[in-house]
This record gives sequence, C-alpha cells and structure tokens, in this order.
Amino acid sequence: MASAVHELTPAEASANPPAESIVVRFAGDSGDGMQLTGGQFTLSTALAGNDLATFPDFPAEIRAPQGTLFGVSAFQINFGSTAIDTAGDVPDVLIAMNPAALKTNVDALKAGGLIIADEGEFGERNLAKAKYAANPLHDGSLAKWQLLAFNISQLTLDAVKPFGLGNKEALRCKNMWTLGLALWMFDRDRQPIVDWLKAKFAKMPVLAEANIAALNAGHAYGETAELAGPMKQHHVAAAPAEPGLYRTVTGAESISLGLVAGAQLAGVKMFFGGYPITPASAILHHLSRLKEFGITTFQAEDEIAAIASAIGASYAGQLGVTSSSGPGIALKGEAMGLAIMTELPLVIINSQRGGPSTGLPTKTEQSDLYQAVYGRNGDAPMPVIAARSPADAFDCAIEAVRIAVQYMTPVMLLTDGYIANAAEPWLVPNMDDYAPFPVTYLETVPEGGFLPYARDEKRARPWVKPGTPGLLHRIGGIEKQLGTGNIEYGAANHQAMTEMRRDKVLGIDVPDQEVELGEAGGKLAIVGWGSTFGPIHQAVRRARKKGLDVSHIHIRHIWPLPGNLGALLKGYDKIIVPEMNTGQLKTVLRDQFLVDARPLNKISGQPFMISEIEAAIEEALA
Amino acid sequence: MTFVVTDACIRCKFMDCVEVCPVEAFREGENMLVIDPNDCIDCNLCLPECPADAILPDIEDAAAPWIELNKVYAALWPMVTSNAGQKPSDAEAFKGVAGKYEAYFSAEPGKGD
Amino acid sequence: MNDMTPVAKTLPKDWETDQEVRWCPGCGDYAILKAVQRTMPEIGARPENTVFVSGIGCSSRFPYYMETYGFHTIHGRAPAVATGVKLANPDLDVWIITGDGDALSIGGNHTMHLIRRNLDCQVLLFNNEIYGLTKGQYSPTSHVGTRSPSTPFGSLDRPLTPCAFVLGSGARFVARAIDVNKNLPAVLKAAYAHKGTGFVEIFQNCIVYNDDVFAPFTEKANASASQLWVEQGKPLLFAGGTKGLTLDTEKLVLKVVDVVDGDWAAAHVIVHDQTNRAVAHMLVEMPFGPFPMALGVLYDDPAPTFESAVVAQNAQASAGKKPDLQKLLSQGQTWQVEKQPHSM
Repeated sequence: MASAVHELTPAEASANPPAESIVVRFAGDSGDGMQLTGGQFTLSTALAGNDLATFPDFPAEIRAPQGTLFGVSAFQINFGSTAIDTAGDVPDVLIAMNPAALKTNVDALKAGGLIIADEGEFGERNLAKAKYAANPLHDGSLAKWQLLAFNISQLTLDAVKPFGLGNKEALRCKNMWTLGLALWMFDRDRQPIVDWLKAKFAKMPVLAEANIAALNAGHAYGETAELAGPMKQHHVAAAPAEPGLYRTVTGAESISLGLVAGAQLAGVKMFFGGYPITPASAILHHLSRLKEFGITTFQAEDEIAAIASAIGASYAGQLGVTSSSGPGIALKGEAMGLAIMTELPLVIINSQRGGPSTGLPTKTEQSDLYQAVYGRNGDAPMPVIAARSPADAFDCAIEAVRIAVQYMTPVMLLTDGYIANAAEPWLVPNMDDYAPFPVTYLETVPEGGFLPYARDEKRARPWVKPGTPGLLHRIGGIEKQLGTGNIEYGAANHQAMTEMRRDKVLGIDVPDQEVELGEAGGKLAIVGWGSTFGPIHQAVRRARKKGLDVSHIHIRHIWPLPGNLGALLKGYDKIIVPEMNTGQLKTVLRDQFLVDARPLNKISGQPFMISEIEAAIEEALA
Repeated sequence: MTFVVTDACIRCKFMDCVEVCPVEAFREGENMLVIDPNDCIDCNLCLPECPADAILPDIEDAAAPWIELNKVYAALWPMVTSNAGQKPSDAEAFKGVAGKYEAYFSAEPGKGD
Repeated sequence: MNDMTPVAKTLPKDWETDQEVRWCPGCGDYAILKAVQRTMPEIGARPENTVFVSGIGCSSRFPYYMETYGFHTIHGRAPAVATGVKLANPDLDVWIITGDGDALSIGGNHTMHLIRRNLDCQVLLFNNEIYGLTKGQYSPTSHVGTRSPSTPFGSLDRPLTPCAFVLGSGARFVARAIDVNKNLPAVLKAAYAHKGTGFVEIFQNCIVYNDDVFAPFTEKANASASQLWVEQGKPLLFAGGTKGLTLDTEKLVLKVVDVVDGDWAAAHVIVHDQTNRAVAHMLVEMPFGPFPMALGVLYDDPAPTFESAVVAQNAQASAGKKPDLQKLLSQGQTWQVEKQPHSM
C-alpha cells in the first residue's frame, strides 16, 4: 500500500525497470561506523564483479555529538554491470541509522527510492536533535519513497546477547547487522567480511564473533523475516519521465482501479466474485470498499462459486469478474469452459505464484501461461493478456474489460505476485484520455426474429438481460446450434461452432506488436512477457550501450498474438525468451510461427537478475 | 400439450396403455378409452404400448379431430388404471378397420376401476 | 391510484417451449414439468421475469422446456450461478432445478451455502435416489445396498436425508412432494410465496434405473397408510385420520398413535405449526416404516434474505459518496513532478 507509514508488507520493492546501476547510501552517526560498513560493502561488491565507485561523506568533526545533523556520516556506492564513472547522482537506497541521517540525506534520494531506517533510534531525543517535529516514519512525510523501518538496534542486541558485551559495544555491532542485511539485499557473499572481521579483531575474538553474529543475523533477517522475494534483487523504479501528478501504486491496487475504470468506460456495473488466496486477495479487498461505484463484491464459499456467481451476474447483464492465483484458477477451469460455450463476458485475473500445486504462495513466477492459453477441456480458446508492471496493469485491466464485453468472451489477465505486491510511482492517468466503449444490450426483437447466437461483425452474440420481454431464451454448456443456440449434437454443426469460437478469438482486434528497444530485425531479439520487463529492458539497454545488436520485444497480448508478430520475429537471427517457467511462451511462439525461439528459464521464485540476461545476450552474440 | 386417443381404439380397446400410465390419465368408455388432458404429462409411455397405434400427441395433424372428444369424455367417463381382463374378445378383429367412429362410437361410460 | 388494468394472465401452455421433451417415457420429470407449468399462471409469474437455473442431470434439462430465461450450467454449481443472477438483478424470479446427485454430491457445498445465506429463490430437488443421466450409479440418497453399475455388490455409504441436511444448513422453508401427486402445485406455490430459499424435495420416479423405489409410500395401495400430508394448523393425521403423530414426552421423540372416532385431541396428536423448527427436524428424520413419510410444507418461517441485505449494504456504504473515478485514482499520498527530473 502506498503510504508513508510502511506497514512492512514483506515483498515490497519496485517492480519496474531497474536503473542500470544501483546507488546505495549508508548514513548514520559518525560513531556508527558507516565508513566501515560502506567499505566492507564495497569490498563485497568488488568481489561480486561489479564495477563501482564510492563516495564517502565524512563530517568535518572527528567525532561530532551523537545524533546531530552535522554528525551524520554517509557512504555512497554506485555499482553496476557496466563501466561506472561516478558514484551516482542520486541514491536509490538510503540506509538511515538515525533521524539525523535521514534528515540530511533523504531529499537526495530519488522518488520511489528505498529507505531502510533503524526504528530503534527514532525516539524523541534523536528526533529533536534532528529537528523533526514529528516522527517521519509515521507522519506520512516519506510518502514518495518506499520505507522499511525495523528496530535494528534491538535486533542487533538480540543477536549479540550470547557474547555478553556491554550495551555500547553491543550497539556498535549495528553496522555489521546492517551490512549483513545489505549483503543479503544485493546477494553478496559474506565470507570476505567474516574473514576481515576475524583478522581485524584477532586479538579480541569475542568481538569478532559478536560482529560476525550480527552480520549473520542481519543477513538472516533479510532471508527469513518477511523480506522474501523482490527484496533480494533490488530493482529500483526508474525516475519518472514526465511531469504530472504521481502516486505510488501496487499491482493489486492498479488492477482494481483498472477494473473500475473499465466498467465505467463500458457503462456496466461490476460483479466481483472472489475467494481469499495469496497473493490475489488484495483485489477482493480493494473492490469491496468501492460500493459507490456500483460494484457488488461477493466472497464466495470457494473458488468455483466465485467464478460461477460472476458468470451468473454476467448472464444477468453485469460485468462478471473473478480473480485468484494458480491453484484457484485450476479449480475454475470447468466454469471458464461454460463461459466460453455460453459466450458471456467475464474477466479472470490470475496473480501467478510459484507452482505447481500449492507451490510457493509468496514467491513470484509466471508458470501459468499454458494454463491460461490451453487449460480447459475441449477446444476452448480464450484471450489472454499479461501485465508487465503495476502501472501497466491498470491499462491491461481496461483492455481485458473491453475485449470481454465487445467479444462476449471470458478474458484472462495474467499478473504475478511481484507485480501485485510491488509499489511503483505512477503518473496518475487522466480518464478523459480514455475512449469509452459503451455496451449495448439487445432490448427489442430484431427484424426477422431473435436468434440468441446471431453474430455481429466481431462474431459476438447479443447480450440480453433476463427481464427483457420478447427475448426469452435458454443457454447452457451443451453444444448449440449456430444462430438459434438450441441444443445441437450434429456433426457439421459442432465443426462449425468450434471453428466459430476459435475464429472469434483469433479475430480480436489486438494492436500490432511494437519493439520496446532496438530495431525491427537484427541479430538478436529478447522476447519477454509479464514482470520480466524490468530486467530484460535494462539488460538490453546495457548491451546496446556496448554496441551489441539486440532488441527488446515485450508481449502484452499472449492470445491471440499480434498479427505482425510472426513477421517481426522472423527478422531476427536469434530469439531468446527469458521466462520464470520452463519455457511456456517459447513453446507458443515456436508453435505459432515456426521460429527457433530459445528459452532462458529461471524458476527459483525470484525475478531475473539483469546480469543473467546480459550474460545470455553476450553468449548469443559471441 | 397432451396425448389423445383416436378412433383406432374403438372396439379394440386393448388397454395395454392403462397399465403403464404413471398419472392415471385414462378414462373408460363403453368401447374406447380417452386421455384426460388435465392429467396427461406427455411422458410418452403409453404411445408405443398400443397394438392399434391409437394414441398420438395432440400436436400431430392426425390427432386434431380427437382432441375435443378426449376432453369432453374425460370429464364424463370413469378413471381406469388397470385392465383386469376388460379387453373385448374380438379386439384383434377391429384393428386397422376404417370408419369406426361413425359405425361404432358410444358415448356411454365404461366400468372403470 | 386504483390500477384496474389486470395483468395479462398466462396459461400453462404459454410456459411450454417448442423443444421436444427428451426424458425417458414415463419419467416423473414430465409430471413435475406439468405441475410447474400449471403453477406459473396461478402465482402470476411473468415469463420474461423468470429464470430457471439448473446443474447437470436429467432434472437439469428442465430449463430447456420452460419458456422463460434459462441457464443450464455445470454439475453442482447452479446455486452459485443463481446467486450471481439474483444479486445482479434481485427483481428476477429465480428457480433452481437440481437433483440428488447434483445438489448433494458434487453440489453439497454450494447447496449448503445457498441455504445458509437464504437467497430468495426456489430450489426444486428432484430426488430419484439414483444417477439417471449417467446410467444408474448410486447417489448420496440411495439406500444402503443399492446395486448399481459402480456398486455391483451393493452401495455401502449411508444416505443423506435432503430435508434434514437443508434444515441443518439453516433453511427457513422445507417442503416435500411427490412427482405425480396432485398436491405438488400447492407446494410449489407455497415455496414461491416464501421470501427466502424455498426448498422443495420432490420424490421423482426414475422409470429406467430406479423404478418404483418410492412405491412403499407412493403406490396407491400404500399411500393412505404411509403418506402424512401436513397442513398448517391441522393435526398430523394419516391413514384416513385413524393414525396420528404425538410426542413421546419421556423420550422426546415422535410416536405414532391410534385415533379413535376422529378424536385426535384425545390422542394428543400434534397440531402442525410450520414455524416449529424442532418438530420439523423430527418430521424429516422419521424412519420410514414405523413412521409415515412426512409431506407438504414441513417448515416455513421466513428470515431476512441475502440479496436484500447485500442491496441494503451496498446502498448504505455508498451513501453520500460520489463515484468519482478521477478522484479515486489520485488517492493516497501524491506528489507533483514539475519538470523533467534529473534522469539516470
């Protein structure tokens, strides 16, 4: 949730295109050992193969009074996978060990950047010393950044308790605890620091052990204490490019808002049938509070009732929407088939998570593509759209609604846990910029009589609301006759109806595929979908800066695929498809276009690292 | 909709139909049966039972002349639910004979159950 | 304003579709269809305002034969679909047609929740104690020992009593009828009049796979002695008034007593109070044999309906709030970017 008081939901990180380098600034009291911390982090970064540049920022005084603004000591490091020339103009991450450190450094932090604050130091005295009238961790003044606040002081004390240090000495281990966390955040090896600590405190092994314990505790905290997933790979939001009004938004929020917007643009009321499941429940929660928008939300008894009730509502003339994650979507399969057969509008949102089965509820993955495109009994085609980020999810939701009501079909919108939980800065859209697509219900008997399965130029059948005289008809899951919709088992009819359903979906007016970065044609294309956008984009950008001939294509319309995609792909010598699954889009592309798309798969519950994609690019072009 | 008994029943009155009717819709006249349209549920059970093919659904053209007759006499004749030996001994002889209504129809009620 | 224009009354045949009915000849479903078509004009229902929602099974072919709006859905899920229909348009008359397999096997969960929520609708459960459409497997209501294609040596699991299940789920209207029995339309009327889920179990004869399973109480010879048709305010009498039900005050169970010379009061025969839930529980659980089969409107005590509560809450939660989407989008902590910021 976008608020200054971060209720510390674990996996909150920006999901967006990461900066090509990351700039971290450690800031604390000059007595906190920030230089030391920074130095060690530098060491580990160098060992990890990043190029880097540092900028230590000492106060003038050797040892200024504790907690004062002028006593703040900072250490900034800029690191990345390409040549780094500067320490970075603007930090992406600020680790603030006390209020003074926060005060003096936060304004330099880029919008949407991450603040890690030691809550334990934000008591009244320190706040006063830093000239804060109120606690910035709680008063909303830090809204434009992401905030993680925990009591590093206490956590450090807990970690070093076994070693029996005095309070002051114990607290000095804080910088090692913080370093441990930072190492975890950027996936650095601890061993060099452990070795260094042992060497430095060779004459005082207890101190060495205590500091190592603090280091490990900070690292462990990152690993286990609800900082799972995206925190490991810190992808920071790109700086906003356009002037305007911004807010932070999570994927769950933006999808909810997009659905509200879509329903408004369509001029229909929304019925949302849902059931609690990680990481999709937030959509149900958000929508349940928006009753003034004419939305009925229904927490059904199970996943199947959730979709079935949404289908019933669509039958009655509302926009039926349902949402879940992998296991719940699996349960909804039969009902999706019913919606396909009865040709009713429906939006189904899958916030993908690690699978199969219960899988990894809080880890991200994108392994439900096969399920979305193919996963129903029979030839049951359904349009599929994939969002790439929280901001993008807003527009994808509107698009899903549009397709559903214009083509009288269920539509699957794919997102993932990373997008759902991650927040990013969002240029608030102006609804005046969106063209409405108002629904027209059939209300009078057409000339020549009423045929429930008559079709318009989109092959969509009419939407009739029960309660309308003269248009009474029955629908169901059994195969139906072209035109009349009566039950029909005949051979030729089934052939024709199956082809009609297929052609309706294939005929959806999907826009042509664009190239995100690069040219239409060349040596190599990196083709992705969903939240891999960020790492792919950065990797391709860096590669192009090195002069490599590589382009980035990112697909939103998974089914039907854009009409120009085949020709576009055939213009590249090589195609790589990075996916957080075992190669599902890759399969579809190979099948549809007979191109030699090669997979780059990562199914670890974690997003791609830029470096992983960079490496694949370099290997492919070697 | 309902089913009706046609003139093919007259003087045959095989009564195989009454044994199968689940809703006791048959009414017995002296030499034919009729179906009460208020009770008939169109369940199709009686139609194939009749050796004389005397039963038709009322939507068929050939049934049209008999709809009114069934309705009128169902109100007058007693219910019959089993054919305990009420079939006439010369039933077979009248099977397929034409003009039975003009020649033989009787408005008299039968015995019933 | 006295509107003297009468609403055009329909006839039973106005509710018939042009589709050829395909149930097996002699199936009890035909009788139920006729009864429903005869009831519609009497309750003043309007075809365009009526929706039949069914699951899967022989019962569930029903909507195709009714000239109304109809939705033949998926096995066991009709209550969930119907809930969506009714919430989207509470003015519709919603009828759910289901069977013993559809409602109590795969659909048991949804049936329970529909009843629990008390959605205003009618549920007609065609109980033939077998799976007809799939050719004769035993169902959750089949007697123990039912030989069927899937239980060639006899079924082993104890059957469910549908009316007891729905009462246990919180039902406010529970009734029982027999497919060919003339009381069915009256029961349907009462279910329709009840505001809330009107649950009706209809014993329906499957002539092919479970013929005459109900003969012990439906056959003419047995009917009088084994059917107890309850009536509000009337004593619980059967067998031509010569027997009645009373409460054994020691064991707190029902007991059959003889009634002499029509003096049921002397025999302490219970007068039927359809708002008495405890008696309703006992009536539906009477073991058949020593006791008759209780039929008619066994329980009718309305409670607030689900959809009316949803409508009310939607209205209350919306009161005074404007649906301003642009404002909603701009909610939360926002900030203004005035010019091109320093880019990376």
